[in-house]
Amino acid sequence: MINEEPISIFNFISRHFDVINELYTVQKEERIIQKEIFEKICSKYNAEGIRKTLFRYKIVKPVQEDFELRDVYYNVIEYILVEFRPMLPDEIEKYGQSISDLFMKIKEGVYGDKLILSERIIALSEEVKKFTEAVEKNKIRLLAETRELKANVKRIDYSEKIQKASHWTGYYILPMNRILDVNYSESITNKLFNVSEFVNQKRLNFEDEGLRSMFERLHKQLIHTIDDTRANHKTFINELLPFIERIKTESLILTGWINFLKKPYKTPTPKLFKNERNNPISDKMFLNTKEYFEMFQTTEDVYIDEDIDQIPRWMFNKTLYKTKLQVSLPVNDFFKWCNTEIKHEGELTNEKLLSLMTLLFDESIQISADEKSDKTIINTVNSKFIVPKLKVTKNGI
Amino acid sequence: MEFENPRYHKQIVDDLMTGKFILAKERHFEDLKENASYYDNFFKNSFGYEFILTPNYAYLISTETNENLSRDICIFLAILCYELDKNGINFLDKMEYGDFSVDEIEELFEHTAFEDLVKSNNQLKDTDSRRKLLRAINNKNITVKHSEDRFSFTPAYNVFIDFAKDLANKSQIVL
Repeated sequence: MINEEPISIFNFISRHFDVINELYTVQKEERIIQKEIFEKICSKYNAEGIRKTLFRYKIVKPVQEDFELRDVYYNVIEYILVEFRPMLPDEIEKYGQSISDLFMKIKEGVYGDKLILSERIIALSEEVKKFTEAVEKNKIRLLAETRELKANVKRIDYSEKIQKASHWTGYYILPMNRILDVNYSESITNKLFNVSEFVNQKRLNFEDEGLRSMFERLHKQLIHTIDDTRANHKTFINELLPFIERIKTESLILTGWINFLKKPYKTPTPKLFKNERNNPISDKMFLNTKEYFEMFQTTEDVYIDEDIDQIPRWMFNKTLYKTKLQVSLPVNDFFKWCNTEIKHEGELTNEKLLSLMTLLFDESIQISADEKSDKTIINTVNSKFIVPKLKVTKNGI
Repeated sequence: MEFENPRYHKQIVDDLMTGKFILAKERHFEDLKENASYYDNFFKNSFGYEFILTPNYAYLISTETNENLSRDICIFLAILCYELDKNGINFLDKMEYGDFSVDEIEELFEHTAFEDLVKSNNQLKDTDSRRKLLRAINNKNITVKHSEDRFSFTPAYNVFIDFAKDLANKSQIVL
């Protein structure tokens, strides 16, 4: 028994919440508060007085050599901090069983002992309350967990994120859906419906007034619970499930993108259209076709003549003309000599004259020019050459 | 002989042959959907192109791919999704239902964790390049412009999102 004023206990908790919160955190992680850690926390806060009070108010209890917060306080802090762990649907399903069992007994003993009937009604009400609370807590926790997963507070990698999301869906959200789905015959919501139907009749026609009023209260509670359950079910179906699916999809996409960004130039990317030909109905086609036809559009008539009388091309016989020059030496006017010598080869062209001029570079001859004398004029077919009079003599003795 | 063709034939062929995605909301999409088999044969037999029709968009695939643009879009989207997620934004929702400002894109790419990749890519390296790339993406109907500096994605972006999903699935199979 705690022989203390409740307000004193609450005041104590309020004043020393830091210590209690630290003890709670340790217990949450380790499931128990080891003696050394307990002492360390108490001494850290210089809390010998607190230590004693924790035991006097029965906030902490010894477990062999270690300690733990009593369930009632642990649960209060957990509830206040919204840090409760999500309950496995298997843990919640037990309420379905206990509700069914109590309901069967109420039905069977409805006209029996009034006292046990009223106790069973209270017990049933308690179970319904626990069930509602468990669902509510699970909804809150699962929402918090999924939001944390979405924000990726723990910076886990995307594949792990997918695994976690699949875990929440497979082990929590889908089974919770089965528990809450009114269309599923074995769901707890469905069981609550059956109970509510029975209780509804009894609240109207049960003979005993006291029990009738208990049925009335239970009925109200059930109606309220069913409404809550439906709302929670909606959250699971419309919010949590798509949210988790979204996380899975997004994580999958990001995993893909990150894989791609590791080797962006080595991974084949989606095929995109590349135009390699002219579109038959495109504007360009008209211009291209016009251009094509214009290539063959002629502006003048062209005639092709066959070369019947081909004149053999003149070839310079250097040896012949070199001999001729050497025989004629000395030559007083080289270009005049060229003009005379080439006459029998047809008309004089630039090509012929320039070819003969190459004889001047022969080493066997010597060239000299009289600057005062008149220039020689040579008319070729194409040009008129005004050249100096070049005297050519034999080189050497 | 009279050549019978669907009502919006010219617009359909014009768009698809310039590499555009035709979107479900466009007036010629219905025409295209109703004559899907005609266009499938038309493009296959005339040019050897593959005609892809989904409930939300349609496009052509040629034998040769516009690889550079496809790769640049992939890098752009990969970085965009990554940076949005890093900033706690639900990128799929944002791409499906939201819109973007060019400044917002600039902010994300200026401070990206993939800075080296961005700087070494000619289509992403600076503001002008990124604007040019956004114009190219817009020309393909992968985005739609709302004003000079605001745009949103059309369902065509899913071609690239599906590509990322496939990559992730493949890597999981390898693991």
